[in-house]
Amino acid sequence: MTGVLDDRRDLVAGVLGEGSLVPAVRAALDSITPGLARAFCVVPAVPDPAPLTDLDDGRLDREVGDALAATLAHVQQAAATFAGGGRLVVVLPHAPLLGTTRGAAASAVTNGVLSMARTLALELARDRVTVNVLAVDADAPSVRALAAELEALLGDAGADVTGQEISLTAGAGLGRLRP
Amino acid sequence: MSSTGAPVALVTGGAGGIGRAIAARMAVAGHTVVVGDLEADAVRATAEETAGAHGVVLDVADPGSRRAAVAACEDLGGIDVLVNCAGVLRDARLAKLDPGLFRRLQDVNLLGPLALTRLAAAGMAARGRGAVVNLASRAWLGTFGSTAYSTAKGGLVGATRSLALELGPHGITVNALAPGFVDTAMTDGLPPEIRRRTLAAIPVGRAGRPEDVADAVAYLAGASYVTGQVLPVCGGRSVADPYAA
Repeated sequence: MTGVLDDRRDLVAGVLGEGSLVPAVRAALDSITPGLARAFCVVPAVPDPAPLTDLDDGRLDREVGDALAATLAHVQQAAATFAGGGRLVVVLPHAPLLGTTRGAAASAVTNGVLSMARTLALELARDRVTVNVLAVDADAPSVRALAAELEALLGDAGADVTGQEISLTAGAGLGRLRP
Repeated sequence: MSSTGAPVALVTGGAGGIGRAIAARMAVAGHTVVVGDLEADAVRATAEETAGAHGVVLDVADPGSRRAAVAACEDLGGIDVLVNCAGVLRDARLAKLDPGLFRRLQDVNLLGPLALTRLAAAGMAARGRGAVVNLASRAWLGTFGSTAYSTAKGGLVGATRSLALELGPHGITVNALAPGFVDTAMTDGLPPEIRRRTLAAIPVGRAGRPEDVADAVAYLAGASYVTGQVLPVCGGRSVADPYAA
């Protein structure tokens, strides 16, 4: 579902975005009971791996520029419903956040969205909106871990957690420098 | 490598406050500098004041302009060092952030540098050496009211990591700098109170100078065992409380 509120949970928690992780996020949300009235998960589309030589101007525009623009639109859509507070969780694939060969476009999108989330965490704090990023294994996302983390972030205990990047990858990436 | 044997460095945004200092520093380091920027007069003036430099009018957001600039550098022997310095900053809070403005900042600050890197890397790979230095920003860590800019700069940091992995085997390094508050024409207009608070959050107790950034660019351009890194050049603000005072 793209750009449309997912109202299966009576707006308890909606999913916005067209990333490949949408089914995992939906499955995780279906298994928990978020404790907040206004919460959204944003799941951006992330480009497939491609060598730099293949990233012509058109592909950069579509796969990076359009993906970031769509994420902004989804975040704005969610934030518009957050009068009095809310929770925004962005779910991203872990590998391109750290960097991969042939992953320039994917890393541009994921790290761009990560920085967007950090800025929005600062900006929306005064409106009692938290913004966090969950990084998961795109090939085999742990729905159980995702559900547990979403339950925490979307519940009362999540009020004091914002601007964080939380990896749900069983330690994958440890030993790699993360700026 | 130019006909003089000097490596060729294309500096985008080379006529701006930081870019001009980078151009001068790279010339001192022995490069044949190509100053790329939007305004022909500014390009000409900067090239004239920079030893041995050439100038090219360059809009990094325009595909044809990018191709022409790279072709001009090929005439000099090809790009050995690409410094992606051109950038544009416009702040707007989320609710008032116009999609067109957001896209413009991505075009200039992210997509343009990536497209130029693709064009330049082909020649670098053929020659088996090269360096790309991307001017990101401390805003990649998050900056209030700066969603579009921080998104673009974060994207540039991320792409830097993947490009380093991909291009390393070809002898090409890719690194990023994250400047903090630097005294330029762009920051001259800050309200005094904002400036005071900003300076109070910088551990070294002063604003950055364009030369501070230029020195770091020159280092990364020549550091063949350093790649995929992001180097904050911010007087320590990235380890301090950026919103102190």
